[in-house]
Amino acid sequence: MSFLTLQNIQKSFGPVQVVHNFDMAIEKGEFVSFLGPSGCGKTTILRMIAGFEKPSGGTLTIAGKDQRPLKPNQRNIGMVFQAYALFPNMTVHDNVAFGLKVAGKAKAEIDARVKEMLALIRLDHLADRFPYQMSGGQQQRVALARALAVKPQLLLLDEPLSALDAKIRVSLREEIRLIQQKLGITTVFVTHDQEEALSISDRIVVMNAGKADQIGTPFEIYNAPATRFVASFVGTLNIIEAKVVDPAANRVSIGNQDVTLKQPLTGFKAGDTVSLALRPEAGSLAQSAPGDTALTGKVVSAHFLGSVIRTRMDVGGVTISFDMFNSPGTTPPQAGDIVTLRFQAADLLLIRD
Amino acid sequence: MNLQRFGAWGAILVGAVYFLVPLIGTLEFSLRMRRDGYSLDAYRSVFSDSQFHQTFGYSMLMALLTIVFGMLLVVPTAYWVRLRLPQMRQVVEFITLLPLVIPAIVIVFGYLRMYNSSSILPLTGSVTGTNILLVLSYITLSLPYMYRAVDTAMRAIDVRTLTEAAESLGAGWGTILFRCIFPNVMSGVLSGAFITLAIVMGEFTMAALLNRPAFGPYLQLVGANKAYEPSALAVIAFAITWLSMGLLNLATRFSKIAPARA
Repeated sequence: MSFLTLQNIQKSFGPVQVVHNFDMAIEKGEFVSFLGPSGCGKTTILRMIAGFEKPSGGTLTIAGKDQRPLKPNQRNIGMVFQAYALFPNMTVHDNVAFGLKVAGKAKAEIDARVKEMLALIRLDHLADRFPYQMSGGQQQRVALARALAVKPQLLLLDEPLSALDAKIRVSLREEIRLIQQKLGITTVFVTHDQEEALSISDRIVVMNAGKADQIGTPFEIYNAPATRFVASFVGTLNIIEAKVVDPAANRVSIGNQDVTLKQPLTGFKAGDTVSLALRPEAGSLAQSAPGDTALTGKVVSAHFLGSVIRTRMDVGGVTISFDMFNSPGTTPPQAGDIVTLRFQAADLLLIRD
Repeated sequence: MNLQRFGAWGAILVGAVYFLVPLIGTLEFSLRMRRDGYSLDAYRSVFSDSQFHQTFGYSMLMALLTIVFGMLLVVPTAYWVRLRLPQMRQVVEFITLLPLVIPAIVIVFGYLRMYNSSSILPLTGSVTGTNILLVLSYITLSLPYMYRAVDTAMRAIDVRTLTEAAESLGAGWGTILFRCIFPNVMSGVLSGAFITLAIVMGEFTMAALLNRPAFGPYLQLVGANKAYEPSALAVIAFAITWLSMGLLNLATRFSKIAPARA
């Protein structure tokens, strides 16, 4: 049996249903990210797990125990908030000790646990500081230590990195993942940042309009998006409209140039329009290799972005973007150049909404 | 630019003259009890009056009780409105403003009708009951200031997230309110407390009509029967108000040093 199970979970605020029949099973020690745009219901599900919102329907269990009758303070769930939520009147030590004091632990035990937690986040030298004397990154690490100090059965992270600057965000997310793996704590992480979700999760739930569009590993989500929404939300992607030429041979036409797909065109007939997805990094202007698929077109624009050059080309009225690594020895394509983009047929994904 | 500056200083000067001249006049008059020169005789006379001590002590006690019970009413109310009933905020704000609109004499007559000795709750039938009624009436009078001070302090912290953080750590409502919320709105509580102190120390209508030996009616009594002592008392009353304002300023400054954001 899974550690955390959400079965047919629904949530409505008045007449507006924000979560529709959500099902999910999370194993012990797993790091699962809920990814989606604002208003997709990801935070609402997290708040239902924490007990701050009551589900309108469905069941929610942790370790086989129904959580619905329990109040938030009875669930033993640690939570880290976007706004840090450290108690401003308490020092770092007292913040981390708060949950232990509430639980009525002995002073010696509290001090030892606080020391252990502060060592874990490498802030043991700041135990006497107040939150306002610390940077955002430090405050969020303290918030993490405070949530972990009470040895929760589950850790919930509600966009904990959103308020931080880019560099701190990257280092802190790596730190969160390391700590999670070290403690083996089951973690649910909510974010709207695809890079964050892809880099630290065991599995990702891509949420769209209150439903899970796809649940899978970061590799699956990125390389095999199940829906148009997942394809467009995770990573940069070309969505190409193509005409089916020969469904039996999996052949389609993109701007009057025929290509063969790896995926079968089951259910389509000649003349149908299909949506295909192609990652910008999948193509290259290198010499042809056996089995490559090629599309020839005219360069519309080429933007130098430092490590990569993002080029847009027109293929018979269809615009396709592709990225190539910057190399000082290679001249980037110029607008008006005729180029041939080569990629593996398997990189061209059929999107079935 | 220069003309603007001149105008600003002119306005400040006119304001200062308007406020300070009567005050200086009162202070000067309070020192002229002796015909041959300035002295502190009026102040000596006031301080040696046992009624001054009794009424001052009584009003201080009433102020203290008003602050304690007022805050026990206002802080949880402001907290709950912010946390669970944000849609009721304007209604609660309107209710807390009513004591500014309804004259104190109307309120106290209402009390006398409601709580007289032949009513269901005859608070005016005993000294203790009347004292309780006086404290309740002072809470009503200071409600607009107390509520605003506390609500403003609560605006500076993220009440909802702090509450949820405490809840997720196992805390119950008592712990959340007294260990997580109260200490973080202390600057507002202190501001409200000092304003309440100033109001209660000078209040006349409620105390006089409820026939309690408070400082306000004493000021009126002395004013009606003596010459120099009322001026000395006016200066003392000003000093109390200024002391409260000074403490309020200190509390505000303290809140700037202390963390305000969650």
